[in-house]
Amino acid sequence: MKKIIKLSKKQRYWLDFVSAMTQKEIKARYKRATFGFLWLVLNPLLQMLVMGFVFQFFVPVRVDNYFLFLFAGLLPWNFFAQSLTKTTPAFFYERNLIKKAKFPREGIILSIIFSNLFHFLIALILLMIALIGDKLLIESYTFMQLINYALRMLWVFPAILLLLLFTIGLSLITSSLNVKFRDINFIVSLAVMLWFYATPVIYALNLLPEFIQPLFYLNPMTTVVEMFHYALMGLPMTMMNFVWVAIVLIIAIFYFGIKIFNKESKNFDDWL
Amino acid sequence: MTILEEKIIRNRKHTNDVVISLSDISKKYIITHEKPTLVEDVSRILRFQKKEEYWALQNVNLKIYKGEKVGFYGPNGVGKTTLLKIIAGISAPTLGRVSTKGRIISLIDLEAGFHPDLTGQENIFLNGLIIGMSKDEIERKFKKIVSFAGIGDFITAPLYTYSSGMKLRLGFSVAIHGQPDILLLDEIMGMGDEDFQKKSQVKIKEIIGSEATILMVSHQIDYLQKYSNRLIGLKNL
Repeated sequence: MKKIIKLSKKQRYWLDFVSAMTQKEIKARYKRATFGFLWLVLNPLLQMLVMGFVFQFFVPVRVDNYFLFLFAGLLPWNFFAQSLTKTTPAFFYERNLIKKAKFPREGIILSIIFSNLFHFLIALILLMIALIGDKLLIESYTFMQLINYALRMLWVFPAILLLLLFTIGLSLITSSLNVKFRDINFIVSLAVMLWFYATPVIYALNLLPEFIQPLFYLNPMTTVVEMFHYALMGLPMTMMNFVWVAIVLIIAIFYFGIKIFNKESKNFDDWL
Repeated sequence: MTILEEKIIRNRKHTNDVVISLSDISKKYIITHEKPTLVEDVSRILRFQKKEEYWALQNVNLKIYKGEKVGFYGPNGVGKTTLLKIIAGISAPTLGRVSTKGRIISLIDLEAGFHPDLTGQENIFLNGLIIGMSKDEIERKFKKIVSFAGIGDFITAPLYTYSSGMKLRLGFSVAIHGQPDILLLDEIMGMGDEDFQKKSQVKIKEIIGSEATILMVSHQIDYLQKYSNRLIGLKNL
């Protein structure tokens, strides 16, 4: 492979290390499962069907294309929730390694997040192919309509970036603090459960009373999920001018995540 | 105060290159009686109690030159392992400064970085990176590592199919091929079957005889005396 950017030895090692850890995560997860990588698509698909069934027929939510709506929101949400619940106790689980060798500790967290990202991206690409296929073959879009449609899909890139920064930042905070305070792990698993209902995945924000809507934008995941809804389904964001709140919050959390991790990681050995 | 009692056994030639320098190192641990929880912390603050502290090391000054073989001894709990961990960079000192030159590898728990579902080959790369080898370096030494471990065709099989002896050999082989500038040995262990024990002892002696700087920790003073040129006893006052 041609190296475009000249990396120092240390940076090269860091990249190799994080990518080897990530490959380990990816390989180890499906290694002994018969259906292997199929679970990657099957999982959100089954989740969508179950939830779609409940919220379409028992407690109807008035959103067009509800199953697709669910799927588009569940993908980023699952990435976030699974990453956060898995990274929070990760330093504690890897205590044997941490107490025995010196290596970049953040590799443990990043490998979990990047392996989840890999799975998330595959599912997302499959969904986008299916969507374009649908517009092309079934709804027989004209060429210009198709171009516009594909251009709007480019919004997934800033959405993924925000989602990734937020997940890394928050994971660094919870996993670093969990080394000293093991309660964090319990708090996080509970919080993720409640957080799901505070994020417009199973409902759309515009179904709620207007005065309460701004409150939801204090949750950066609201903005992220709405960006995915926009990119994949063309649903406009409920309150476009609140996007900056999420951006500021996400950058702040990312910054504090690195700060807290740098401060705490020196003394992980003392507490594990 | 942690006192270092030094004994020079024999003057092996070493350069004037300082590879490890500890200045005024102190290490404080905070004693928790159960696992640390927020509740414990809050209740302690409410009762105006101070944290219980324990100084494992206090004001340690030490310079180690390139090529020295240093043996550390002393009673349990005096801070020998803490000292090695601080030198290895696994733990940070509460006070003081550490500076080290070159790659440090410690031969303690060699299987810590292994994953049971990955093959021997994948584990060699993972473990090699964890102890600080670069990817190119592992690729270069891959054949040597496999042949020294003597695991043959199992190299493509997942690690859970290995016997415990095979895992040990693989771990040792990776660590030993890391070519450390500074090697840390915490309680030299006998491992694997008789054959491999001989082989690994030969290899360890080979490294001890080499240019590398070696720090050993053991309760067996005669072993330390045999292999080191500088003995340091740790004592707490």
